[in-house]
Amino acid sequence: MVTRRLARLRGAMRDFVYGLTGYEFARHALEMRHELEAVFMVVTFGELIGVPVLPPVYSLRLLPYVVPEIATWKRHMARSREFWEKHEYDLHGL
Amino acid sequence: MNTLLAVIIGALTVYLAYTLYARRIDRHVIQSDPKRKTPAVLYMDGVDFMPTNRNILFGYHFKSIAAAGPIIGAIVAANLWGWFPAIVWLILGVSFLGWASDYSGIVISIRNEGNSLSAIAHRLVSPRTRTILFVFIFFYLLLVAGAFVGIMATVLESQPKTQLGVIVLTAMGLLLGQMLYRWRTGLVRATVLTVGLTLVAILGGGLTEDVFKAFSTGLNNLTGAPLVTYFDPTLANFKGAEAKIMPSLLFWALSISAFCYAGSVLPIWRMAQPVIYVGFWITALAMVLGLAGALVAPFAKPEVAQFVIPAFKGFNPQLGPAGIMPLWPMLFVTIACGAISGWHALFGAVGTARQIENEADMLPIGGGSMFAEFLLGLLALLAVSVGAKGAPVGAFATGLGGFISVWGIPLQYATSLAFAAFIVIVLVVTQLLFRVQRVTLSEWLGDVVPPCRNQHVASLICVALAILLMLTGTWVYLWQLFGGANQMMAALSLLLVTVWLASAGKNWMYAGLPAAFMWVTTCASILVTAYNLYTNVYQINMAAGRMIPVVGSGLMILVALLLVVAALYIGLDTWRAFQRYRHRPVQQPRPAAARA
Repeated sequence: MVTRRLARLRGAMRDFVYGLTGYEFARHALEMRHELEAVFMVVTFGELIGVPVLPPVYSLRLLPYVVPEIATWKRHMARSREFWEKHEYDLHGL
Repeated sequence: MNTLLAVIIGALTVYLAYTLYARRIDRHVIQSDPKRKTPAVLYMDGVDFMPTNRNILFGYHFKSIAAAGPIIGAIVAANLWGWFPAIVWLILGVSFLGWASDYSGIVISIRNEGNSLSAIAHRLVSPRTRTILFVFIFFYLLLVAGAFVGIMATVLESQPKTQLGVIVLTAMGLLLGQMLYRWRTGLVRATVLTVGLTLVAILGGGLTEDVFKAFSTGLNNLTGAPLVTYFDPTLANFKGAEAKIMPSLLFWALSISAFCYAGSVLPIWRMAQPVIYVGFWITALAMVLGLAGALVAPFAKPEVAQFVIPAFKGFNPQLGPAGIMPLWPMLFVTIACGAISGWHALFGAVGTARQIENEADMLPIGGGSMFAEFLLGLLALLAVSVGAKGAPVGAFATGLGGFISVWGIPLQYATSLAFAAFIVIVLVVTQLLFRVQRVTLSEWLGDVVPPCRNQHVASLICVALAILLMLTGTWVYLWQLFGGANQMMAALSLLLVTVWLASAGKNWMYAGLPAAFMWVTTCASILVTAYNLYTNVYQINMAAGRMIPVVGSGLMILVALLLVVAALYIGLDTWRAFQRYRHRPVQQPRPAAARA
């Protein structure tokens, strides 16, 4: 019982310290990857959001690979943002 | 009064306010429901919306809100009114206002599909709210940037032993970015190397003290006279004195500006983010050692645990030329972040709120982080209360150094670490201020003045304005104006929450009463500061024919009046919206998945 509680407490502390330190780098890495993916999606499937870029035949060949991402991508692109949202994690401690 | 008693009172406050008040509001007013899907779950995209473990998010949110704000506010307030009013405001502020503001910012976003406060205000209050928010954010950033550059330049110039640490910190930040993102070095190994070397430079700063002193003397000998002279009513313990800007001070101000400019225009991973990371470890080390030291100091080293500054200096301390400084409203804006802060709500609503995976986590993360920040403010207050030697920042470093020395570290090194912790925490925040400020400027004026869209032009404008404000010298007034703008944003976010609660037919009192108090208090404080600036800086320097402080203080007065006008508009719009919804609540939109 006590051992389990101690283990849980240790896990919580580990998560807390990770949130304080490495989590921001992980989020930033994700964001950088996402930006590259967004460029790829616009170039290949821009038609889905009204930006015709690539001839449809190539888009069709790539389509099976990106189907799982389309709904998320369209939702992400369509969402209106405030300018500070992208920079929110850049400003700490005020 | 000793430090142990103060920490016990602080811990008890956190426990009682959290369990008896905050949890009650969460259960009975907000009715958080662990089964309800949050935007992070409904709209997960792996980037902005991402369900995250509660403990990780607590650490992330705490780090995002806690830094220089609670420390500087406590230092200034303790010197102006004594430690007793400062501690009372910290306790009451966080118990009834601070947690409510932070928590509500997250709640309102989660219950409105992860929307930002300005988007919700646009829908519930009025379309012009967003524009007014721009005004607030830009001037808020300008004021705090001016105050921080002024504080940093003064401290760096007067403490040559800290200069090596700052230079090495910058180099280590750049190295860490390169190691993590280019060389793919592991985080632990990169951390040990960069933080270790920075720490060595900080502790060994005394070895290069003479070199930097000689450098400063050489710079000052170039002109042989001050570059700018002005009257600063806040100097000499608020008795007022002639301040002189020597070439060495300007050199450090320009160096800080160059550092901030680089942090503003370089990719975030290249400089700003890794410098913050290295700085975080230095500050965290000092704070953890300091807080633990404050607890055991009454037994281990009683001489560093006794409060030495007066408990109370009066409701309106006689400050001579520093003008009027009534406890109400000025204390409530001088200590901002440790008690309540609008910035937390603004950014919590778009950052943390979109990562919360369960409504039951809203209070521990939003409210809990604010209570943790209160402890940071309390530590700063304790440090300045026990170490009343020298200027306010020096007193803070002496006090914190005393707490750290409890662990067997020689006092000289402990004080160096405390000084460095203060400098680092302010420095890293300052570079981010410029970064966000130039983005704000581009968004705000980019269509009307196209050159503002260029990041270099926008950054240079921001740096130039901050230097101009710094040259007025009165960073205490700047700090209080910043506090007013910050607390006003807190009032605005609470007003918005009040309208939302009324529109949802819920009890709005827990947000409405603090909102009204903060709105009135901040309007009054901004006007008092504008009056002080006019009578004590503008008029005196105008009579002496010193144009730089006249222009700087004139700009500050203009900003103060703009903030009050903006607050009046928002107050009026919110009142109308509140009256509209109070008697006729509307049904809240349900999340898309629930509708399906």
